[in-house]
Amino acid sequence: MMTLLERYPDAPASWLGQMPVTSRYTFGLAGERFFRAIKEEGRILGTRCHRCQRTYVPATMFCERCLAELDEWVDVGTFGVVHTYTLLHVRPDGTCRETPEVVAFIRLGDGGLLHRLGEVEPDAVAIGMRVQAVFKSAPEREGSILDIVCFRPLG
Amino acid sequence: MTVNIKKYPGTPLSEKDFAEGKILFNYDELRGDYAWDTGIAIGRYLAGLKEGVILGARCKACRKTVVPPRIVCEWCFRPMDQYVPLRDTGQVNTFSLCYVTWDVRRIEEPEISAVIEIDGASPLHGIMHRLGAVDPQQVHIGMRVQAVWKPPEEREGAITDILYFKPLEEV
Repeated sequence: MMTLLERYPDAPASWLGQMPVTSRYTFGLAGERFFRAIKEEGRILGTRCHRCQRTYVPATMFCERCLAELDEWVDVGTFGVVHTYTLLHVRPDGTCRETPEVVAFIRLGDGGLLHRLGEVEPDAVAIGMRVQAVFKSAPEREGSILDIVCFRPLG
Repeated sequence: MTVNIKKYPGTPLSEKDFAEGKILFNYDELRGDYAWDTGIAIGRYLAGLKEGVILGARCKACRKTVVPPRIVCEWCFRPMDQYVPLRDTGQVNTFSLCYVTWDVRRIEEPEISAVIEIDGASPLHGIMHRLGAVDPQQVHIGMRVQAVWKPPEEREGAITDILYFKPLEEV
Protein backbone atom coordinates (compact mmCIF):
# COMPACT_ATOMS: atom_id res chain seq x y z
CA MET A 1 0.00 0.00 0.00
CA MET A 2 1.27 3.44 -0.88
CA THR A 3 1.58 5.93 1.89
CA LEU A 4 -0.09 9.30 1.60
CA LEU A 5 2.44 11.06 3.79
CA GLU A 6 5.41 11.07 1.43
CA ARG A 7 6.02 12.58 -1.93
CA TYR A 8 5.97 10.18 -4.83
CA PRO A 9 9.44 10.25 -6.44
CA ASP A 10 8.14 10.59 -10.00
CA ALA A 11 5.64 13.34 -9.19
CA PRO A 12 6.25 16.82 -10.58
CA ALA A 13 7.33 18.88 -7.57
CA SER A 14 5.87 22.08 -8.83
CA TRP A 15 3.74 23.42 -11.58
CA LEU A 16 5.32 26.25 -13.56
CA GLY A 17 3.24 28.85 -15.32
CA GLN A 18 3.09 32.38 -16.62
CA MET A 19 0.31 34.87 -16.23
CA PRO A 20 0.27 37.56 -18.91
CA VAL A 21 -0.34 40.85 -17.15
CA THR A 22 -0.77 43.90 -19.34
CA SER A 23 -1.91 47.33 -18.34
CA ARG A 24 -2.85 50.62 -19.97
CA TYR A 25 -2.67 53.57 -17.64
CA THR A 26 -4.10 56.94 -18.58
CA PHE A 27 -2.77 59.92 -16.68
CA GLY A 28 -6.05 61.62 -15.87
CA LEU A 29 -7.03 65.23 -16.57
CA ALA A 30 -4.12 66.90 -14.79
CA GLY A 31 -1.64 64.19 -15.78
CA GLU A 32 -2.61 64.52 -19.43
CA ARG A 33 -1.80 68.24 -19.42
CA PHE A 34 1.37 67.66 -17.36
CA PHE A 35 2.75 65.11 -19.83
CA ARG A 36 1.57 67.09 -22.89
CA ALA A 37 3.67 70.01 -21.63
CA ILE A 38 6.69 67.72 -21.27
CA LYS A 39 6.16 66.24 -24.73
CA GLU A 40 5.28 69.34 -26.70
CA GLU A 41 7.09 72.12 -24.85
CA GLY A 42 9.76 70.44 -22.74
CA ARG A 43 8.32 72.14 -19.68
CA ILE A 44 7.44 70.83 -16.22
CA LEU A 45 4.11 72.17 -14.95
CA GLY A 46 2.57 72.34 -11.53
CA THR A 47 -0.74 73.60 -10.22
CA ARG A 48 -0.95 76.24 -7.51
CA CYS A 49 -3.32 76.58 -4.58
CA HIS A 50 -3.44 80.22 -3.50
CA ARG A 51 -5.17 79.59 -0.22
CA CYS A 52 -2.57 77.03 0.89
CA GLN A 53 0.36 78.71 -0.84
CA ARG A 54 1.40 75.40 -2.40
CA THR A 55 2.52 74.38 -5.85
CA TYR A 56 1.84 70.75 -6.66
CA VAL A 57 4.33 68.90 -8.87
CA PRO A 58 3.31 66.81 -10.73
CA ALA A 59 0.22 68.89 -11.35
CA THR A 60 -2.97 67.79 -9.59
CA MET A 61 -6.61 68.74 -10.14
CA PHE A 62 -7.31 69.31 -6.46
CA CYS A 63 -5.40 70.68 -3.49
CA GLU A 64 -4.74 67.76 -1.19
CA ARG A 65 -4.78 70.10 1.82
CA CYS A 66 -7.99 72.11 1.29
CA LEU A 67 -9.51 70.02 -1.53
CA ALA A 68 -10.13 73.12 -3.68
CA GLU A 69 -10.15 72.61 -7.42
CA LEU A 70 -6.93 73.98 -8.90
CA ASP A 71 -6.92 75.91 -12.16
CA GLU A 72 -3.75 77.98 -11.96
CA TRP A 73 -1.02 76.26 -13.91
CA VAL A 74 2.58 77.32 -13.35
CA ASP A 75 5.84 76.47 -15.08
CA VAL A 76 8.15 75.30 -12.30
CA GLY A 77 11.23 75.26 -14.49
CA THR A 78 13.60 72.38 -15.09
CA PHE A 79 15.90 72.91 -12.09
CA GLY A 80 15.44 71.01 -8.87
CA VAL A 81 17.16 69.88 -5.70
CA VAL A 82 18.01 66.32 -4.68
CA HIS A 83 15.76 65.62 -1.71
CA THR A 84 16.93 62.04 -1.21
CA TYR A 85 18.54 59.36 -3.34
CA THR A 86 19.54 55.72 -3.49
CA LEU A 87 22.12 53.69 -5.41
CA LEU A 88 20.79 50.65 -7.23
CA HIS A 89 23.41 47.93 -7.52
CA VAL A 90 21.10 45.31 -9.05
CA ARG A 91 18.86 45.33 -12.10
CA PRO A 92 15.15 44.50 -11.89
CA ASP A 93 15.98 40.89 -12.85
CA GLY A 94 18.37 40.59 -9.90
CA THR A 95 21.66 40.64 -11.83
CA CYS A 96 24.48 42.94 -10.71
CA ARG A 97 25.25 46.28 -12.30
CA GLU A 98 28.88 47.20 -12.87
CA THR A 99 28.18 50.78 -11.85
CA PRO A 100 25.20 51.61 -9.67
CA GLU A 101 22.25 53.52 -11.05
CA VAL A 102 21.31 56.60 -9.06
CA VAL A 103 17.63 57.20 -8.41
CA ALA A 104 16.58 60.35 -6.61
CA PHE A 105 13.54 62.32 -5.52
CA ILE A 106 14.04 65.76 -6.99
CA ARG A 107 12.18 68.67 -5.41
CA LEU A 108 10.34 70.92 -7.85
CA GLY A 109 7.85 73.49 -6.56
CA ASP A 110 6.40 72.02 -3.37
CA GLY A 111 6.44 68.52 -4.81
CA GLY A 112 8.87 66.74 -7.04
CA LEU A 113 9.67 63.86 -9.31
CA LEU A 114 11.30 60.49 -8.84
CA HIS A 115 13.93 60.09 -11.55
CA ARG A 116 17.40 58.95 -12.52
CA LEU A 117 20.48 61.06 -11.93
CA GLY A 118 22.92 61.03 -14.80
CA GLU A 119 26.28 62.49 -15.81
CA VAL A 120 27.45 62.16 -12.22
CA GLU A 121 29.70 59.81 -10.26
CA PRO A 122 27.64 57.92 -7.65
CA ASP A 123 30.12 59.02 -4.95
CA ALA A 124 29.57 62.66 -5.84
CA VAL A 125 25.80 62.62 -5.29
CA ALA A 126 24.64 64.52 -2.23
CA ILE A 127 21.37 65.58 -0.68
CA GLY A 128 20.74 69.23 -1.50
CA MET A 129 22.55 68.98 -4.83
CA ARG A 130 21.13 71.23 -7.57
CA VAL A 131 20.14 69.31 -10.69
CA GLN A 132 18.64 70.03 -14.10
CA ALA A 133 16.27 67.95 -16.26
CA VAL A 134 17.77 66.58 -19.48
CA PHE A 135 15.04 66.21 -22.11
CA LYS A 136 15.02 64.00 -25.17
CA SER A 137 14.90 65.95 -28.43
CA ALA A 138 11.38 67.11 -29.32
CA PRO A 139 10.70 64.54 -32.10
CA GLU A 140 11.70 61.69 -29.78
CA ARG A 141 9.35 62.68 -26.97
CA GLU A 142 6.17 60.66 -26.64
CA GLY A 143 4.46 61.95 -23.51
CA SER A 144 6.12 59.85 -20.85
CA ILE A 145 8.21 60.51 -17.76
CA LEU A 146 11.06 58.97 -19.77
CA ASP A 147 10.91 62.00 -22.12
CA ILE A 148 13.20 63.30 -19.40
CA VAL A 149 16.34 61.19 -19.84
CA CYS A 150 17.68 62.04 -16.40
CA PHE A 151 18.55 64.92 -14.10
CA ARG A 152 22.17 66.05 -14.18
CA PRO A 153 24.19 68.21 -11.80
CA LEU A 154 23.93 71.90 -12.49
CA GLY A 155 26.91 73.82 -13.75
CA MET B 1 -25.92 51.61 -12.70
CA THR B 2 -29.35 52.62 -11.53
CA VAL B 3 -32.01 54.02 -13.86
CA ASN B 4 -32.29 57.04 -11.58
CA ILE B 5 -28.91 58.30 -12.75
CA LYS B 6 -29.40 60.29 -15.93
CA LYS B 7 -26.03 61.99 -16.21
CA TYR B 8 -22.72 60.21 -16.12
CA PRO B 9 -20.00 62.66 -15.18
CA GLY B 10 -16.52 61.80 -16.37
CA THR B 11 -14.49 61.67 -19.53
CA PRO B 12 -15.28 58.56 -21.53
CA LEU B 13 -12.47 57.34 -23.78
CA SER B 14 -12.82 55.21 -26.87
CA GLU B 15 -10.35 52.87 -28.54
CA LYS B 16 -10.19 55.50 -31.30
CA ASP B 17 -8.82 58.11 -28.89
CA PHE B 18 -5.91 55.80 -28.12
CA ALA B 19 -5.32 54.83 -31.76
CA GLU B 20 -5.29 58.45 -32.95
CA GLY B 21 -3.00 59.63 -30.16
CA LYS B 22 -5.61 61.94 -28.64
CA ILE B 23 -4.79 60.63 -25.21
CA LEU B 24 -1.45 59.88 -23.60
CA PHE B 25 -1.08 56.57 -21.85
CA ASN B 26 1.47 54.17 -20.47
CA TYR B 27 1.36 50.57 -21.65
CA ASP B 28 3.14 47.94 -19.59
CA GLU B 29 3.65 44.20 -19.52
CA LEU B 30 4.51 42.60 -16.22
CA ARG B 31 6.07 39.20 -15.78
CA GLY B 32 3.75 36.88 -13.89
CA ASP B 33 5.93 33.77 -13.60
CA TYR B 34 4.89 31.41 -10.87
CA ALA B 35 5.75 28.00 -9.46
CA TRP B 36 2.95 26.21 -7.65
CA ASP B 37 3.97 23.42 -5.29
CA THR B 38 1.92 20.39 -6.24
CA GLY B 39 2.10 18.91 -2.76
CA ILE B 40 1.98 15.22 -1.94
CA ALA B 41 -1.44 14.22 -3.21
CA ILE B 42 -1.72 16.41 -6.32
CA GLY B 43 1.86 15.50 -7.24
CA ARG B 44 0.89 11.83 -7.15
CA TYR B 45 -2.30 12.63 -9.10
CA LEU B 46 -0.33 14.36 -11.87
CA ALA B 47 2.18 11.48 -11.97
CA GLY B 48 -0.81 9.15 -12.30
CA LEU B 49 -2.19 11.13 -15.24
CA LYS B 50 1.15 10.68 -16.98
CA GLU B 51 0.65 6.94 -16.57
CA GLY B 52 -2.90 7.25 -17.92
CA VAL B 53 -4.67 6.71 -14.60
CA ILE B 54 -7.02 8.98 -12.68
CA LEU B 55 -6.22 8.51 -8.99
CA GLY B 56 -8.49 9.17 -6.05
CA ALA B 57 -7.83 8.89 -2.33
CA ARG B 58 -9.85 6.74 0.03
CA CYS B 59 -10.71 7.05 3.70
CA LYS B 60 -11.65 3.62 5.01
CA ALA B 61 -13.32 4.94 8.14
CA CYS B 62 -15.65 7.22 6.17
CA ARG B 63 -15.82 4.88 3.16
CA LYS B 64 -15.25 7.95 1.05
CA THR B 65 -13.22 8.29 -2.14
CA VAL B 66 -12.34 11.76 -3.35
CA VAL B 67 -10.85 12.94 -6.62
CA PRO B 68 -8.39 14.62 -7.05
CA PRO B 69 -6.72 12.81 -4.14
CA ARG B 70 -6.08 14.66 -0.89
CA ILE B 71 -3.91 13.59 2.05
CA VAL B 72 -6.53 14.39 4.70
CA CYS B 73 -10.12 13.22 4.81
CA GLU B 74 -12.42 16.23 4.79
CA TRP B 75 -14.98 14.38 6.91
CA CYS B 76 -12.92 12.96 9.79
CA PHE B 77 -9.70 14.98 9.32
CA ARG B 78 -7.57 11.84 9.57
CA PRO B 79 -4.95 10.96 6.96
CA MET B 80 -6.37 9.21 3.93
CA ASP B 81 -5.60 5.50 3.80
CA GLN B 82 -4.68 4.89 0.19
CA TYR B 83 -4.67 6.05 -3.39
CA VAL B 84 -7.17 4.23 -5.56
CA PRO B 85 -7.11 4.07 -9.33
CA LEU B 86 -10.48 5.17 -10.72
CA ARG B 87 -12.00 4.56 -14.12
CA ASP B 88 -11.63 7.19 -16.82
CA THR B 89 -15.37 7.33 -17.34
CA GLY B 90 -18.03 9.28 -15.52
CA GLN B 91 -21.05 11.49 -15.90
CA VAL B 92 -21.63 15.17 -16.35
CA ASN B 93 -22.58 16.78 -13.04
CA THR B 94 -22.85 20.28 -14.46
CA PHE B 95 -21.58 22.10 -17.54
CA SER B 96 -21.33 25.44 -19.26
CA LEU B 97 -21.19 26.47 -22.92
CA CYS B 98 -18.68 29.27 -23.06
CA TYR B 99 -18.66 31.56 -26.08
CA VAL B 100 -15.70 33.68 -25.03
CA THR B 101 -12.05 32.79 -24.52
CA TRP B 102 -10.28 33.38 -21.23
CA ASP B 103 -9.22 36.82 -22.48
CA VAL B 104 -12.78 37.64 -23.52
CA ARG B 105 -12.65 37.22 -27.28
CA ARG B 106 -15.82 35.92 -28.91
CA ILE B 107 -15.70 32.43 -30.43
CA GLU B 108 -18.18 30.67 -32.73
CA GLU B 109 -17.81 27.19 -31.33
CA PRO B 110 -18.25 27.15 -27.57
CA GLU B 111 -15.69 25.77 -25.17
CA ILE B 112 -17.61 23.30 -22.99
CA SER B 113 -16.39 23.07 -19.42
CA ALA B 114 -17.96 20.52 -17.14
CA VAL B 115 -17.67 18.92 -13.74
CA ILE B 116 -17.46 15.18 -14.32
CA GLU B 117 -18.26 12.71 -11.58
CA ILE B 118 -15.61 10.03 -11.99
CA ASP B 119 -16.66 6.38 -11.81
CA GLY B 120 -15.18 4.81 -8.69
CA ALA B 121 -15.21 8.01 -6.64
CA SER B 122 -17.94 8.67 -4.09
CA PRO B 123 -21.18 10.09 -5.53
CA LEU B 124 -20.96 13.76 -6.54
CA HIS B 125 -17.13 13.70 -6.46
CA GLY B 126 -15.53 14.75 -9.70
CA ILE B 127 -13.12 16.93 -11.57
CA MET B 128 -13.51 19.93 -13.80
CA HIS B 129 -12.54 19.38 -17.44
CA ARG B 130 -13.57 20.04 -21.04
CA LEU B 131 -16.04 18.15 -23.18
CA GLY B 132 -15.22 17.47 -26.82
CA ALA B 133 -16.33 15.52 -29.89
CA VAL B 134 -19.91 16.43 -29.06
CA ASP B 135 -22.66 18.70 -30.39
CA PRO B 136 -22.93 21.46 -27.76
CA GLN B 137 -26.72 21.29 -27.96
CA GLN B 138 -26.66 17.58 -27.04
CA VAL B 139 -24.74 18.05 -23.79
CA HIS B 140 -26.86 17.36 -20.72
CA ILE B 141 -26.52 16.73 -17.02
CA GLY B 142 -26.11 13.02 -16.36
CA MET B 143 -24.52 12.38 -19.76
CA ARG B 144 -22.04 9.48 -19.68
CA VAL B 145 -18.55 10.48 -20.82
CA GLN B 146 -15.08 9.00 -21.19
CA ALA B 147 -11.62 10.59 -21.11
CA VAL B 148 -9.69 11.06 -24.36
CA TRP B 149 -6.00 10.84 -23.47
CA LYS B 150 -2.93 12.22 -25.15
CA PRO B 151 -0.66 9.53 -26.58
CA PRO B 152 1.56 8.22 -23.73
CA GLU B 153 4.76 9.73 -25.16
CA GLU B 154 3.22 13.23 -25.16
CA ARG B 155 1.97 13.15 -21.57
CA GLU B 156 3.79 15.39 -19.12
CA GLY B 157 2.04 14.92 -15.81
CA ALA B 158 -0.59 17.62 -16.29
CA ILE B 159 -4.38 17.79 -16.24
CA THR B 160 -4.11 18.45 -20.00
CA ASP B 161 -2.80 14.88 -20.42
CA ILE B 162 -6.53 14.26 -20.73
CA LEU B 163 -7.48 16.22 -23.87
CA TYR B 164 -11.20 16.21 -23.14
CA PHE B 165 -14.08 13.94 -22.22
CA LYS B 166 -16.24 12.61 -25.05
CA PRO B 167 -19.69 11.01 -24.95
CA LEU B 168 -19.45 7.36 -23.97
CA GLU B 169 -21.04 4.87 -26.32
CA GLU B 170 -22.47 2.28 -23.97
CA VAL B 171 -22.06 -1.26 -25.26
